[in-house]
Formats: sequence, structure tokens, C-alpha cells
Amino acid sequence: MKREIVSQALNLLDERHITQAAVFDPGAIHQLPERIVQMKTKRIISIALAAALILALGIAAYAAWSIHAARQRELKEDFRIEENQVSSYVEYALPDGQEDGLVLLSAVNDGQEQRAYVNISPVSEEEAAAFPDNARYIWRIEGTEIGGSAAPQLPVEMSLSGVEEIREAVRNYSYDKETQTLTLQCLMDVNFLKKAMKELGTESLPLRIDMIIGESEPRTFGPIAFRLTEEQSRYFDFGHAVYHDEELDRDMEIVGLELTPFSAVWKVNYEGAADFHKPGADQEAYGPWSQLEDKVCMEARIVFADGTEFSTGGALTTPFENGTVNQFCGWGSAIDIDAVERIVLGEQVLWQK
Amino acid sequence: MTDTQIIDLFFERSEQAIEELAKKHGAAVSRIAFNILGNPQDAEECVNDTWLGAWNAIPPSRPSPLRTFVCRIARNLATKKYHAGTAQKRNSQYDLALDELCEYIPDSDSVEDRCGARELAAAIDRFLDGLEPLDRFLFMRRYWYSDSLGELAKLSAMSYGAVSVRLHRVKEKLKNYLLREGLLV
Repeated sequence: MKREIVSQALNLLDERHITQAAVFDPGAIHQLPERIVQMKTKRIISIALAAALILALGIAAYAAWSIHAARQRELKEDFRIEENQVSSYVEYALPDGQEDGLVLLSAVNDGQEQRAYVNISPVSEEEAAAFPDNARYIWRIEGTEIGGSAAPQLPVEMSLSGVEEIREAVRNYSYDKETQTLTLQCLMDVNFLKKAMKELGTESLPLRIDMIIGESEPRTFGPIAFRLTEEQSRYFDFGHAVYHDEELDRDMEIVGLELTPFSAVWKVNYEGAADFHKPGADQEAYGPWSQLEDKVCMEARIVFADGTEFSTGGALTTPFENGTVNQFCGWGSAIDIDAVERIVLGEQVLWQK
Repeated sequence: MTDTQIIDLFFERSEQAIEELAKKHGAAVSRIAFNILGNPQDAEECVNDTWLGAWNAIPPSRPSPLRTFVCRIARNLATKKYHAGTAQKRNSQYDLALDELCEYIPDSDSVEDRCGARELAAAIDRFLDGLEPLDRFLFMRRYWYSDSLGELAKLSAMSYGAVSVRLHRVKEKLKNYLLREGLLV
């Protein structure tokens, strides 16, 4: 009985509170809404015809919301967001009334790249099937020259080879035939986005997607407002640990590790490191150091509280910045950076909780 | 199309009114219905009944804001359906939210004895008036719109944990407020 009374009481709450909570707008949340007129009954006119129309439109609105929610759920599961407590992963609500165009699903900043996941619609089945050989997707920040490739979002662990396998995977995992919606991943260099913010003088960037099928003119989705999301990172200071590699007979200082749920930067240093990372460096002399850099990224083990281990894999970029070589590594599904217990390289413990 | 133009279509008894209403406010209404009923079929039926309710009410009503009006119809219909036992139960966000809220209204007899739904609603309204806007937003979205904590985190750009903690504090305040007002013993 208590549940029913509480439920009835909620039904009777003042319209002011309902209206204020209809949209989250920190600036407008104080505004007082207008009162609504009480509902009265009226004789039904043309019910049969209206009901048929209502049914179709109700389903359309529901379908748009449904594919948005379904894709968000799939991405979240695929990226293992909840089990790894990734607080920096941002999901976006479907804008009210929007059933097609460009819609943000989620985003996460891995330090180097801002990953953004979006839905675009309507995209016909033929257009979706044109990828990868006859379709291109490009994200752009309007009003700037900044942009890059986007691609249909596929499950992280999926390994594909050949055009037909990719086409089939896009059909099965990235495209929704019912709502003609294609889900894309945009990888946007954080520094480029910062540059765009500077150029446009705003943090709210006009993001759009161009779809180019064959030789046809690009079809544009958006723009929509997009903001760089916050990075979640943890720094492990190794106290200038020195790793000695017997095989290569060299010593490398391992300064620290900056870890995010989706990426890592191994900070290492050694004699001549700055010179080896300049254009035109002596590649032969750099060879053994390069092997040692790889060894740190690929052989070091991050051990979690539950006993599982993780390797960051090979570095994608290795610039020399701020006095260290910064080896950037990235991966697809999140790790729990707060659950790290130990970091080891061979027999050497670099860090322990 | 503006809400005023949509209402004008209702007054002209044009079926396009329903089309435009669904286009503009359909997602919000679908969401409430699904949150409460937790089942797509029941939610879809509720959404259709909502459009019918709007068709029957306008004219003579000229509601403003229109969204609140249709959301209220949807919530009333959905909760009625839920309590009538025709909907799939114990799975929806509405269930969870209601359970959560009832935990902070501890003495069931006192609720019935001391106040009816109308009195309780008036007290909650007064309580909400005294809250910070963000707390009021979170309370309404959780307990009126029946949004999940995850959805709320998305809507308010806060972490899941922050939303949960904030709501917990609001419910504690509500409990104390109702005790002070003499609505609970």
C-alpha cells in the first residue's frame, strides 16, 4: 500500500518540478515554467484513423531511441566499461525529437586520441555495404581544416581479413537495417582538437561526418556540438628504475608509466635518446635501443588485484618529449587502472602497491 | 514545428497534429513509458494511449508546456497499467526507483494513517522547492521520470557514483523533512 501511495503522490507533483527536470540545462534550471492547463475529456473523433497513424509514429520514435540505447549498451559491454569502472567514459542522451542525422553515442579520451562513437542515419543498405572498398567516412570540425577518417565500429576482439569479411561484419555489427543507422568510430587527435578549439575560440566544436560513396559528392551528417572529454589517468613513478638487459647488454632508465583505461605511455630514457628520436638519426646505432624500447612495452606485465595480467603491447608512437622517450600504446577494451597491484619487467618489480 | 503550431493543428482536428506531436515529444514519452513498464510492448501501447489522451484533451485544453502535459499523461497511464497488474512487473526502473524511495519513508502505517497521496505530494513539492536545482533535477528524473542511475549520470554529466551519493543525501533530507512535518513517525 505504501508503494501505491508514494507512487500516487509522485503523480501529483507540481508541473513546475516536472517541467524543470524535462531537460538538463544548468543555466536554465532556475527558470520558472508556465503552468499547464488541466486536461479535460473530449469526444473521440476519427479514432480509427488516428490510432493507425499513432501506432506507426510511436514505433518510429521508439525505434530511434531503441537503436541508440542498444548501441550504447553494446559499446559499453565491448569496452568492458562497467567491470573496469571507467569513469571517463561519457555517454550522450538521444536529443529529444531527433530520429536521424548525426547522433553522439559515447566518447572517451585516451590521452592521445579522443575516441568518439556516433550513429548516422539514414544510410541505405547499399551505402553501408559499400564499405570498405567503395565508401569513405570523414569526420570534420567545421570552420577548420581539421578532420580525419572514421570507420564503422566493429567489436574490439574481431579479427577480419579481406573486403568481403569486413563488409559482412559491418552488415552484422555496425548497421541496423530497420532504422537505417550506421555506427561509426572517430579517432581524433587530442592536439588537433585543441588546435580547433583555439582557432574557433570555443570549446564546443561543430563536428560533422561526410559520407563519400564512390565518386559521388559527400553527404554530410551534422554538425553537432562536441566537446573534448576528460582524461582519466594514473601515474606510476618507478623512481628512475634501471633495467639491465643481458641479451643486449644495455641499461635503460624506466622513469614511469602513465596509464589510462585504454592507453599507456611508458617513459624511458637512455644515453643519446634525444638524438635517436630526431629526424635523420643513425638508425643502425638506434637499432638495439629500439629493441629495448619494444621490450619494455611488450614484456612488462601489469598485474591486477584479481591476479590477471596485462601487456600494453608495442608502442604506436615514440616521441622524445620533456626529457624522456614517451612510448604510447593503445588498446580496445578498458582495464581497471585502480586495480593495479604490481608492474614487473622480467624479474624486476618496477612498482608494487 | 513549435508547440503552439502543434496545438493549433489539434484545434483544427488535423491528424497531422499527432504526427508532429510524436515527432517532437515521442522520444521523451517513449522513455517514460519504457522506464515504468520495463517492457517494449506495454510501453508502445502506453505511448499510443498517450497520443489518444492528448487528442481527447486538446481542445479544449491548450497546454503549456506541451511536453510536460504529454509526459504526465504517459506517466499516469503507465503507472495505472503497472499497478493494475497488466504489465510485466518487478523489472523496470520504476520498480527500483520506487523501492529506493520507499526505503526512506519507513513506517508504512504512518503513511496511510497520517496522510493521503495528495498531502504527501504537497509535502514533497515543498521539500523540492527548498532543494538545490541540481538535487531537484536528480530527484525528479529518478523518481518521476524513472531514469536509471546510468541515464542520470549521462544526463547530468556526473559519474554514476556521484549521482548515487547525491540522491542518497536527498532522500535522507526528505526523510527528515517528512518527520519534521509530522507526516511520518
